[in-house]
Amino acid sequence: MNTRSIRFRLIAWYAGLLAGVFVLLAGLMVWGLKHFLETDLRETQARRARQIAGTLLANIKRTGEEFVVREINVLYAPETNGRFIRITRTDGSILYASGPPKDGSFDPLLVPVLQPVPAAPVFRKDQQLLITAVPTSERYIVEVGATITGVEMLVHQALVLVVIGLPIVVLVGLGGGYLLVGRALAPVGRITRKAEQITQHNLSERLPVACTADELEQLALALNHMIGRLEDAFLNSKRFVADASHELRTPLTVLRAELESIAADKALTADLRESLGSMLEEVERLATIVQQLFALSRLDAGEARAEWTQFDLAELVTTTADQMGLLAEDKGISVVCEAPQPVTVAGDRARLKQVVVNLLDNAIKYTPAKGAVRLRVAAVKDSAVLEVADTGIGIPAEAQLHVFERFFRVDQARSRDEGGAGLGLSIVKSICAAHGAEVVVESNGSSGSRFCVTLPLVGSKRNNHDEKS
Amino acid sequence: MRLLIIEDERKVADVVARGLRAERFAVDVAYDGPSGWDLAASTDYDLIILDLMLPGLNGTELLRRLQRKGSSAAVLVLTARDATNDKVENFEAGADDYLTKPFAFAELLVRVKALLRRPPASRTPVLRVADLEIDRLTQQVLRGGKRIELTAKEYALLEYLAAHAGRVLSRTMIIEHVWDQSFEGLTNIVDVYVRHLREKVDEPFPHKLLRTVRGTGYCLTDEAEP
Repeated sequence: MNTRSIRFRLIAWYAGLLAGVFVLLAGLMVWGLKHFLETDLRETQARRARQIAGTLLANIKRTGEEFVVREINVLYAPETNGRFIRITRTDGSILYASGPPKDGSFDPLLVPVLQPVPAAPVFRKDQQLLITAVPTSERYIVEVGATITGVEMLVHQALVLVVIGLPIVVLVGLGGGYLLVGRALAPVGRITRKAEQITQHNLSERLPVACTADELEQLALALNHMIGRLEDAFLNSKRFVADASHELRTPLTVLRAELESIAADKALTADLRESLGSMLEEVERLATIVQQLFALSRLDAGEARAEWTQFDLAELVTTTADQMGLLAEDKGISVVCEAPQPVTVAGDRARLKQVVVNLLDNAIKYTPAKGAVRLRVAAVKDSAVLEVADTGIGIPAEAQLHVFERFFRVDQARSRDEGGAGLGLSIVKSICAAHGAEVVVESNGSSGSRFCVTLPLVGSKRNNHDEKS
Repeated sequence: MRLLIIEDERKVADVVARGLRAERFAVDVAYDGPSGWDLAASTDYDLIILDLMLPGLNGTELLRRLQRKGSSAAVLVLTARDATNDKVENFEAGADDYLTKPFAFAELLVRVKALLRRPPASRTPVLRVADLEIDRLTQQVLRGGKRIELTAKEYALLEYLAAHAGRVLSRTMIIEHVWDQSFEGLTNIVDVYVRHLREKVDEPFPHKLLRTVRGTGYCLTDEAEP
């Protein structure tokens, strides 16, 4: 589980707060309960002490001390009820003291005598006893006590309930939080997944908007507006490339035809023929660039899939390598083609052939004499993989990110001599994108490079998905 | 042979007309759709060179009208568009051939001539240029009676050059005929193959036939170098 995710953190906070509040409330409740029970006990004891003072001690001169002792034993039976009753004279001598209780929970003889005599009722604790001492006007101190075991037992039970309740509360909090946060954040997951799918090729698509009138709806709407602006910008630049390459064709046609008609003149001097030839070469190059830009703009516009067929990529690569064999042979480069198994893919055969041609041409172009180029076609899981590796000059790390960009050249001087316009690899990239394929380059800088094209295999899940979308 | 050019870009129309007139064709020019249609409907042309994007009446519609009229003229469509579905649509509407701008005039000429030679398709079984002999049936090449061994691609290249002997063929034309469109922009492949062909066909002999025309392309010819 990702501990940095909003869901995790929210739930952790939620459960932590819930547990904290629960502990605080439970603590207050237990403390309150204890306090209430003790106060109640004291009040009962004080009442009883006053009762003894008011009914028995008030008439002690008339009835005699023995009567009081007997009456207390009869009325209160302190030993049987587990109570402690003691009446002390102000000089410290004891008039009456209850005996040890039946359950033996305390020893009354060990309770010290109060000296000096207090002016007001005194509460104290001794052993397990809570004792209330009340001084009377007849110069006696009446002490009534009871064990606090009952109170403690109740408090203990309350604590047990708290301890059992805490994990339950935390669990309920976690579960409820998980569900609630999950529900609240579900649009975020959908937005993220969709946003990851949107590339320059499907900018017309939009993020899902949950009509909840909350912050997430606003976020999705704002992002959609942004994608809309991006789409406009992309369309404008695409339209510009398409229009520019289109508009350049007519003047180029005129230029070429005019130059050719002059060149056809047999009376030209060699110098003039030379410069005309040079001009024609440049016109040809311009025409090629215009042609490639136009091809790119058509790929960007998402060419119709009318030309799509199923074919064997291994066979296509082998044939193409064969057709270009002389080009490599001419430079003394060996071309090895490893395509033992048929690998069926779906796509525009002519376009994918162009991918092979451009990659192979590139490999041959940038590999010095006596080098080697290796082509490999294989089915890996549900993908068809085409690999073009060479032992050439390689691509520096900082250039690898840009090799698929339009008009990018690793080495300005050298590649222009080779006659390229820097569009070959961007065409490869665009064709791959149109086929739902991926193309990557690897090079450790100086000892050759490796281009790898990964296409969906026919019958694979990825491919079926593509066809549906 | 009477030709009609319907093309709204005056310069393109004029330069093409000039080139074709130099090749002894009778050429009429129309600069927009309606006047092109008037000319095409009233005169019996052998070939119409038609631009697709025309003011007034677009090329595809003009093609359909010609078709309905039962015109016997061959139609070569000239356009800056080269999307495949455009091609299909126009072939269905009755275009006989298709050329994308910017084209080399040599290529236009080759196509015009090919269209005008039709329907009697002339595929002479043996092509001859000076002492070079190419048998199209057996794919055997002889020079001065001596047999020359060629690879399949070298043969295809030589046959294409010989079939248009005396004409300069651009690298783009050669690629489209001998290879395919996937090799577009890869003109050095033509140079390499021509060099190999030269080693076999020209080098052992004093009289050179395969000529490089700078900036334009290659030409197989018996004529001496200018």
